Amino acid sequence: MDAKELKKWEAELNICIRCAYCFEGCPVYKELGWESDGARGKIVLSYGLFSGELESSEYIADKIFECTYCRDCVERCSANVSVPDILTAARTDLVNDGYKNEAHLELLDKIKDTGNIFGKELKSPVRNGEVPVLLGCRLLERTEDTKRYLEILEKLGIKPKVVDETCCGMPFGVLGYKDDLATHKEEFRRRFPYKKFICMCTTCVFFIRKNYPDLEAIYVIEEVVKRLPEVEHKKLGTKVTYHDPCNVARGMDMVDEPRSILKEIGVELVELPTSGKQAECCGGGGGLLVTNNPLAEKLAEKRVNQALEIGVDTLVTLCPTCEFNIGNVASKNSGKLKVKNLLDLVWESLK
Amino acid sequence: MEIKKVLVEIVGEENVRDALAELYVYGSDASIHRELPNVVVRPRTVEQIQKIIEYANNEIIPVIARGAGSGMSGHSVPIDHGIVLDMKGMNRILEIKCEDMYCRVESGVVDDDLNRAIKPFGVFYPPSPASSRIATIGGEIANNASGIRSVKYGATRDYVLGMKVVLADGEIVNLGGKTRVEAAGYQIHRLMVGSEGTLGIIVEATMKFIPLPKLRCLGMATFEKLEDAGNAIANIIASGAEPSMLELMDNIAIEAVNTAMKLGLPDVEAIILFEADGKVKEAVDFEMQGMKEICEKHDGKVTAMSYDAKERTKIYAGRKKLFPALSRYKEGFACTSLADDMAVPYSKMAECAMKIHEIAEKNGIIMTAYGHCGSGVMHTKILMDTTKKEQWEAAKNAVEEVYDYVDSIGGITSGEHGIALSKAPAWKRARKDLVEAMRKIKHALDPNNILNPHKLMDAPDDWLTATPIRYRVKE
Repeated sequence: MDAKELKKWEAELNICIRCAYCFEGCPVYKELGWESDGARGKIVLSYGLFSGELESSEYIADKIFECTYCRDCVERCSANVSVPDILTAARTDLVNDGYKNEAHLELLDKIKDTGNIFGKELKSPVRNGEVPVLLGCRLLERTEDTKRYLEILEKLGIKPKVVDETCCGMPFGVLGYKDDLATHKEEFRRRFPYKKFICMCTTCVFFIRKNYPDLEAIYVIEEVVKRLPEVEHKKLGTKVTYHDPCNVARGMDMVDEPRSILKEIGVELVELPTSGKQAECCGGGGGLLVTNNPLAEKLAEKRVNQALEIGVDTLVTLCPTCEFNIGNVASKNSGKLKVKNLLDLVWESLK
Repeated sequence: MEIKKVLVEIVGEENVRDALAELYVYGSDASIHRELPNVVVRPRTVEQIQKIIEYANNEIIPVIARGAGSGMSGHSVPIDHGIVLDMKGMNRILEIKCEDMYCRVESGVVDDDLNRAIKPFGVFYPPSPASSRIATIGGEIANNASGIRSVKYGATRDYVLGMKVVLADGEIVNLGGKTRVEAAGYQIHRLMVGSEGTLGIIVEATMKFIPLPKLRCLGMATFEKLEDAGNAIANIIASGAEPSMLELMDNIAIEAVNTAMKLGLPDVEAIILFEADGKVKEAVDFEMQGMKEICEKHDGKVTAMSYDAKERTKIYAGRKKLFPALSRYKEGFACTSLADDMAVPYSKMAECAMKIHEIAEKNGIIMTAYGHCGSGVMHTKILMDTTKKEQWEAAKNAVEEVYDYVDSIGGITSGEHGIALSKAPAWKRARKDLVEAMRKIKHALDPNNILNPHKLMDAPDDWLTATPIRYRVKE
C-alpha cells in the first residue's frame, strides 16, 4: 500500500511512546476489548501500514474506521499525539488502496447529489439578515427546531442571514475521501461565500475551524453565553443532565459555557458520572454511525442508562449528532429519557 | 492440532485472535522492542489459564502474560513468539475486607479502579506508578512497580500478602496469605514480585491497603545550581525527614516544559518538589518546615507551598507535563525509554545528573535527568531522531556509559521499570552472581522455559539487536 498520507505523520507516529494511557477512556476499546480496538492499537496499525510491515487488509480497515474521533485519547495522551489526524491519514490511504465501505459511499453520494447527508431536497429557511449563519445538514432537516433556533438569535439581537447552504464536507474528510473533500470544499465556498459567520452545528464548526483555516466560524453557544444575560429571559426551574459533546468539550475546550447557560436559565444540572473533558462519547462521531451502527448505539445506550441512573428524565446536549444518536436509543429503549438540544431550553427561557 | 484450535476449545472463538494485524499490535509495548506472537488469547477464568499452560508446557510453546502492555523495557514483547495471554479481561475485585485491611483481586484489575473502589472506606493502595490509570495489578506485581510516593510508601512488594499462581506445569498454587506478617518458608509470593512473568502466571492477588492521609502539603524549591539541589535531597533524607514525595527536575526538563507547555517555570538549573502528608497538621507542618529549611540551607529558594488541592495541582503542573513536553522538545526527535530508571545513592544524585548531561553531550543526543530522587530513582529520557542509525549507535554508547558510571558509584540498573530486554545487558554485567542463582530458580519452576522466555537473566546481550526495534530506521 502506498501510505502517502501516513508518511506525512512519521514524526508523530514516532512520538507516540505506546504508553497505553489512551486505553483509559477509549469508548470503542472499552466495548470491544482487543488492544487493536483502542487508540494505541490503531496507532500501531497505522505505523505498520506506514512502515510497510503490514499489508492493508479488511481487518485493519475495520479497526481504523471503528473510531468515534472523540479525542478522549488526545486528552489523556502522555505525548499529545493527535490520534484522529493520524487515523484520517490512515483512512485516506486505505480508501485510496481500495477499501471502500458501501455505506460510506452511499452517504457521500447523497451529499454529492443533494448537498446534505440525508440525500433529499432540503429547503434552507432563507433569511436576509446581516450575520451569515450556517445551519449544517442535521439542523437543516429539522425545519421547525431550526426556526426556533433562528428566533433565539433574533432575540439576542443578531439578524441572521441564511442562504441555500451545502454540507461542510466533514464526512468526506473523516471517511478518508480527501480528493472529494477538496472538490466539495469549493462547492461549499461557492454556496456559502462568507469569511465570518455563526455556526449552529457542533460538528460543522469544529470541522470548519480545522479544515478551512481562513474562515472564522463562531459557535452559536459563544454568542448565547455573551448575550443571554443582557436579554430578558425567565428561569425554567427544571432539572436536567448535560452530555458534553466531544467536539465541544475536548475539541473546542468549551466545558463551562454550556453550564453557565444552564445556570443563567435557572436549570438545575445533575452531572453524568463522566463529564467535561472526561465525558464518554455517545458513539455518534468519526463516521461510526454509518460504519458500525450497532456499536454506535451501544455506546449511546451507556449514556442513556447513566442519565436514568442519576434520576433525571431529560438529557440536554449541544451536538445534533449526539442528540440524534442518544435520542434514537432513548426512544427505542424505555422512552423514559427525553433528549433535547440546549438551544431548546434557551428558546423556552426566551419565549 | 494447531495452537489456535486448541485455544478456541479452551476459551471460545471470540477470545482468540491470530490475524497478523492483531499479532502486530500485541507484539509491542511501551519499549523500543517488537516481535510477533503466534496467537493472542483473552482468558476469563483460572481454569482456562491452567488448561492453556498445561497445553503450552506439553508442546513447549512460550506463554507471555500481558497486562496493559505499558512496560518500558519490553516485558510483554514475545521475543520467542508463542501465546500472549491478555489478562485485562480478568478484572474482578473479589473481596474488600476493611477490618483486616486487605483486598483480593484478579490480576487484570486496573490500579486506579482498585483505588476508586476502596477509597470510600478511607483507605488506599499506595505503590501506584504514573501509569496507574491503565496498569494492571498483575503487571505491577510482575514488575514490582512503584511511583512518586515510593519514598514514603515503598513498592508493590511491600503490599503483596498472597497470590494465586498458575505454575509452568499447570499446577494452581496459593502462595502467602492474608496476614501482615509471615515468618516461615520461602515466601515464594514475594519471589514472584518482580519476576516479570518468568516464574508463573499470577491470576489473583491479595494486597494490603492503608489509611488515606487526611492532609497533604506540596512545596517547590528552585536552585541556581543542580549540585545544590542534589545535596539538598541527600540532606533531606539524611535528616530523618519523611517526605511523601521528593522530585527533581533538571534544567533540560524545565526548559522542555517551558518551551512546549509555556508554563513559565523559573529559568534555573534545578527544581525540587517536596511533599509531606499525614493525619495531623502540626506533624505535616513540621516535615514541610524541615525540608524547606534544608532547601534554603543549600541556596534553594522556596517559591510555593500549599495544602490546597488546586494550588498543589498548579505546583505539580510542570512535573505532570514533563513527559509530553519532552516529546515535543525538539522537532523530529522522539522520547525513548533507555537507561531510564537507575537507582543511585542519595549522595551521588547531583553528580549523577551532571554525569548524564556530560554523557549525552559527548554522544550527540539529548538526555534529561529527573525523577523520584527521594527514593533514589534517577529517571532519564533519551531524546533522539529515532529514524537515524547513527543516533541509535550514539544512544547505545550513552546507555553503556551511563550504566558503567552508575555501577561505579554503587547504583543499580533499574529502580522502577524492570529489566526485561532493554536493560538486561547492563544488569547482567552488574549482577553476575544473582543471574546464576535466578537461572537455577527459573529452571526449577519452569524447566521447559515456556514462561516469558529470554527475559531478565536470559535476555540477549545486546538490547539493540535483541528484537527488531519498533522504529523504522533509515540506513
